[in-house]
Amino acid sequence: MSTYGGDSWAREAHHRKRRVDDLMLSSSSSSFRDASFPSFKKLSNGKYACLVCPHNPILDTPLMLSVHNKGSRHIAAESRVRASELSKRNELHKRIALSDDSTGLSSSDILVQQGKSSGFHNKPLIQKTMKAILETKSNQMENPKFVVAGHKTELRTRSSVCDSKHSPAADGIREPSGNDACESSNSNEKKLLMTAATNKMLTDWHSEFSERREKELKFTSAGWKRDCHGKWYRDENVEFDSDEEDPNITLR
Amino acid sequence: MYLYSLTLQRPGGVVCATNGNFVGGKTQEIVVARGKTLDLLRPDESGKLQTLLSVEVFGAIRSLAQFRLTGSQKDYVVVGSDSGRLVILEYSRERNVFHKVHQETFGKSGCRRIVPGQFLAVDPKGRAAMVAACEKQKLVYVLNRDAAARLTISSPLEAHKSHTITYSVTGVDCGFDNPVFAAIELDYSEADIDPTGQAAADAQKHLTFYELDLGLNHVSRKWSEPVDNGANLLVTVPGGGDGPSGVLVCAENFVIYKNQGHPDVRAVIPRRADLPAERGVLVVSAATHRQKSMFFFLLQTEYGDIFRVTLEHEGDRVTELKIKYFDTIPVTSSMSVLKTGFLFAASEFGNHALYQFQAIGEAEDVEASSATLMETEEGFQPVFFQPRGLKNLVRIDQVESLMPIMDMRVMNLFEEETPQVFTLCGRGPRSSLRILRPGLAINEMAVSQLPGTPSAVWTVKKNVNDEFDAYIVVSFVNATLVLSIGETIEEVSDSGFLDTTPSLSVSLLGDDSLMQVHPNGIRHIREDGRINEWKTPGKKTIVKVGLNRLQVVIALSGGELIYFEMDMTGQLMEVEKHEMPGDVACLDIAPVPEGRHRSRFLAVGSYDNTIRILSLDPDDCMQILSVQSVSSPPESLLLLEVQASTGGEDGADHPASVFLNAGLQNGVLFRTVVDMVTGQLSDTRSRFLGLRAPKLFSATVRGRQAMLCLSSRPWLGYIHQGHFLLTPLSYETLEYAASFSSDQCAEGVVAVAGEALRIFTIERLGETFNETVVPLRYTPRKFVLQPRCKHLVIIESDQGAFTAEEREAARKECLEAAKMGENGNANNRQQMENGGGAGDDDEDDALSDEQYGYPKAESDKWVSCIRVLDPRTGNTTCLLELQENEAAFSLCTVNFHDKEYGTLLAVGTAKGLQFWPKRSLAAGFIHIYRFVEEGKSLELVHKTQVEGVPLTLCQYQGRLLAGIGSVLRLYDLGKRRLLRKCENKLFPNTIVSMHTYRDRIYVGDIQESFHYCKYRRDENQLYIFADDSVPRWLTASHHIDFDTMAGADKFGNIYFVRLPQDLSDEIEEDPTGGKIKWEQGKLNGAPNKMEEIVQFHVGDVVTCLQKASLIPGGGECVIYGTVMGSLGALLPFTSREDVDFFSHLEMHMRQEHPPLCGRDHMAFRSAYFPVKDVIDGDLCEQFPTLPPDLQRKIADELDRTPGEILKKLEDVRNKII
Repeated sequence: MSTYGGDSWAREAHHRKRRVDDLMLSSSSSSFRDASFPSFKKLSNGKYACLVCPHNPILDTPLMLSVHNKGSRHIAAESRVRASELSKRNELHKRIALSDDSTGLSSSDILVQQGKSSGFHNKPLIQKTMKAILETKSNQMENPKFVVAGHKTELRTRSSVCDSKHSPAADGIREPSGNDACESSNSNEKKLLMTAATNKMLTDWHSEFSERREKELKFTSAGWKRDCHGKWYRDENVEFDSDEEDPNITLR
Repeated sequence: MYLYSLTLQRPGGVVCATNGNFVGGKTQEIVVARGKTLDLLRPDESGKLQTLLSVEVFGAIRSLAQFRLTGSQKDYVVVGSDSGRLVILEYSRERNVFHKVHQETFGKSGCRRIVPGQFLAVDPKGRAAMVAACEKQKLVYVLNRDAAARLTISSPLEAHKSHTITYSVTGVDCGFDNPVFAAIELDYSEADIDPTGQAAADAQKHLTFYELDLGLNHVSRKWSEPVDNGANLLVTVPGGGDGPSGVLVCAENFVIYKNQGHPDVRAVIPRRADLPAERGVLVVSAATHRQKSMFFFLLQTEYGDIFRVTLEHEGDRVTELKIKYFDTIPVTSSMSVLKTGFLFAASEFGNHALYQFQAIGEAEDVEASSATLMETEEGFQPVFFQPRGLKNLVRIDQVESLMPIMDMRVMNLFEEETPQVFTLCGRGPRSSLRILRPGLAINEMAVSQLPGTPSAVWTVKKNVNDEFDAYIVVSFVNATLVLSIGETIEEVSDSGFLDTTPSLSVSLLGDDSLMQVHPNGIRHIREDGRINEWKTPGKKTIVKVGLNRLQVVIALSGGELIYFEMDMTGQLMEVEKHEMPGDVACLDIAPVPEGRHRSRFLAVGSYDNTIRILSLDPDDCMQILSVQSVSSPPESLLLLEVQASTGGEDGADHPASVFLNAGLQNGVLFRTVVDMVTGQLSDTRSRFLGLRAPKLFSATVRGRQAMLCLSSRPWLGYIHQGHFLLTPLSYETLEYAASFSSDQCAEGVVAVAGEALRIFTIERLGETFNETVVPLRYTPRKFVLQPRCKHLVIIESDQGAFTAEEREAARKECLEAAKMGENGNANNRQQMENGGGAGDDDEDDALSDEQYGYPKAESDKWVSCIRVLDPRTGNTTCLLELQENEAAFSLCTVNFHDKEYGTLLAVGTAKGLQFWPKRSLAAGFIHIYRFVEEGKSLELVHKTQVEGVPLTLCQYQGRLLAGIGSVLRLYDLGKRRLLRKCENKLFPNTIVSMHTYRDRIYVGDIQESFHYCKYRRDENQLYIFADDSVPRWLTASHHIDFDTMAGADKFGNIYFVRLPQDLSDEIEEDPTGGKIKWEQGKLNGAPNKMEEIVQFHVGDVVTCLQKASLIPGGGECVIYGTVMGSLGALLPFTSREDVDFFSHLEMHMRQEHPPLCGRDHMAFRSAYFPVKDVIDGDLCEQFPTLPPDLQRKIADELDRTPGEILKKLEDVRNKII
């Protein structure tokens, strides 16, 4: 192709570049970062909304989107999003570690001792690693009942609400372990099952947490406040219905 | 962001009006000032008011006067405006423009206390004009003529008096003595320096005469005498042989005749019997009628009653002043009595009317007279009268006016092609909901069902000289139906047309023979009944026909064209054949030009996306002159000839030209100019009309050629005031149409659609919108849409009126007293049901509230109602009248989260609200209503008392936000009342508007513009995080995007504010939310400030703003409505190129075509804040009114041709509407 000869090469090259941008864009929808956070969204009217920029500009064509994606503002926003995502992830890891740890703290005496003795209780990541090692160890010991029981007690100690909902899950785990006579040989399978079960537990617990958080928010926005003991009381500037739910009862 | 501002609907309200012979000759015209436009109106022969000219002056017109130099035949207009200049205009009939004769600068611009412009008075003999300010300054200009009979104006003579307030100014008629001006004045110099207030209480108004000594060229105060302190208006009394001279002073309750050296003659103004005792009667407008032998005055009171005032005089001595009740019409801002026997009443609010005099009320029984004036210890004895139906006047025409637009919304509730504009208009009993649709109004005259689905329709005359059409011919798939037009329209079989075949075309050929073209041949019916048939050769059929009066071209299947011409003997002769490369899609011949034998051009459209122009000249017959390729196969062609015009009444100069219009299959109308000599095509324009291929038909509009385009809706292309306009008609989809003329309907259209034949006329040419009116009971305040069943919920309220029950009771009492019996009563009841008069004014005895106004109550009494209205039928499905002096001020629909009710209606009311002497109220309430009967009706759930007036309500996150005074409060729904959940008291004055988007709340304060807020659930707090640095007195607001708000202030500005991007990001990305909580602004303001990105002075108070698109698929623009009843749009530009072009055009227009009333355009648009990023489309659209050489000059500087500029202007207008 005598692309660069003649007087139209620049234009053609530009076109090609645009086309490439276009294609990149359509492919980038799947490849760009992780699929859970796409950089843009195709709207029902065929326009595109940039999800990176905070004001979510609507762009008419993929071309405009690609041009927009090159804009300094977008790039700045993107890097900001990345940074915030990174920090969020870090924070998340930390918190997960912390929460796991706190469960660990209540469940396993060894860990408490270890954690306390080593003075790592303010370093969640290290604690987490320790706990993970411990867990794998206990898994190798092939004593699932212990673990399940541990989790169960742990849940008991947390709150009454979680308890009622969690027990079927715990039952589900116990079931295969109930007839271990036929399955004891298949330890690999069991291990897999175990990790899946703990994962499920974790997500359940998360949804539980957010549900509880949502409930609390509902009460705060309805005008309830908490004193330093965690007890709920009514804000004197806010009006309440006569039969309004009392969080002290509902959330116990 | 750059915006293009365009007025879509000119203001309807009238500020002032004057009448005279501005055109010259015997006709009478009215010059009307509508705020910033100046209109010239004239009643035509049929009594319809026609607008001859409407021109935007880019300034506020405050006063108008008319004068005539002695001996001349034509009147001049004097305009007092906010320009600090006195402008004298003359109407030029040739060019249909106002021509600025003189422009005298005397002061600063703007409406100021001491800069003249508010009052204008002219000497009745046209020798001098006085222009006065509200305070202190008065200037007198001497008007004269020079040797060439041109009008000259002197330098101003001062008649200032400081510390003086002027109330009214008029010229005194004293024949050819020195000109004298009279003024009502109040001296406040003592009141100003007296701290005890005694002097203020004793202040006295004076009537002062100023004499212009023409010899000394000097103005002096000639005479000053105290008058009643209620005096507000002066009316000149004819003098100089025609009458006693002097003035009528209209004061509260009295009319007083005064003149120098003459005792006062005083008469009391009659009062309505039902008027509360503490209310006075003021005259608000006056008109004088003068003839050689007699004169009288018509004075209208603030309640709408007109009184005829006559003076009994012997020479200069007035012996008696008589006041007689004349008639009652809606309150006017100005009345004009035309010599032709018409009264033009420019209403204060609502539609204006033209009345014809039936009588002049000459009966002897007068209500009040100076001779019967009774004085007792308590003062003068009042005189009472009872208003009655119109006796002396009869209304013959109405001019629609939306003034004032209280609220507006653009929605497509009826699922039509374009959205409708719903406006709440008017005041008190004359208020209404008006549904505006872009397009011309049509008047359907007849619809009749046909036995089948017709495919085409034509109308034919029997003779070329006939005035009216003789037949309507309708073609079906296999038959042709002929209807004859007479008293009735009936089927005939003796017409000679072949009725067993479909027709392709039917027309008059030559002078008096008829022709029918059908697929198998041409049937030529001679006047004497002989029939000539021409059959198609072989198996070919005729597919398309193009014809005019003397020429016929047919296209056979396969693409063969055969050209026939009519010869001397009236025979149709074949002249030429031509083979086209493929099938012919459509063809057309231009009409035969005046004085010629044939038209020169044939246009042929083919399926290969081309249109060819062929010559029909004998020399080069069937030669292709030019080819135009188009985007899609043409479906229909029309060659439209525009006759040369040299101005005159309707139109500017333009030479004769031929336009080729083509309707393409993709729905585009393609328009191009055909060179009259060479047949070359140039200046192409295209416009998308609808989803169907437009079919084009020629029609006649006001005696000129026009074009009907039938796409998915009908359009009309016509020439109005010199411009070609293409406007949709508000009518259903039509299949085929033809022009129609009969003695009932001179310029109509007959069309077929479905199985029906429809005959209609097109009305109110030149207007952008047509309206459907639904009357309302009280002044409408706001409305919302009930989202489920698409009903409108409207709140209405009025101060100082009685509730419906009280009115009903009073009326009954009154009728019983008058012994009118049950019949009249029933009538009234029915009217009440309709909700305040349905506008049927032909009922004789019913004193409709629309006409007579509501009976007046004390000023602290409020009436109000909530109405649910079905916009499709205009029926009110529910009307709740609020009780106990409550009035509704705000409403919104709200869905409370996790509550079972669904959509509820919240209405904010105030009880016993008073504005004077101090704003106070008994209580405020928020009512919660539930929609019952599928949204048709309302049921009160509960009402909650609040401490202020809830001026605005809004839903937010499943709760109700209310702006109560300066408090923003969040409510949740409780069992018995609303529960206050959260509030923020930090707003500066009063919250008047609220919008929400995601978690942001955009709050508008009455004096301090916008505040952006956020609600935090975890803390249950409302935070203000940004505000505006400019104190704006907000009247309207609209949410544009996440960071941007559009607002309008009470000084007539529109502005956009935006939170800067980085600030917005910072606020949105604050993860802990600590910043928003702890950040503090300076001087009690919010921590962040918004930026003003757009600023524009509209010159009229904007009451509502909305973001909407008025055309299908068009870009969104901001639509606004104003108090004066105008609608405008702000369209964002999409390319930098356009911005450059229009800003340059605007710049050149400012230079070359300064506004008519002398205000600098740039200064006007920047009256309060410098204009920013808005281009004035109204100024750009004045480009076509410039003389051609000036147009060329501007076009040259822009490197374009005038045609390109016109096209660009048309394009941008078509993007909006």
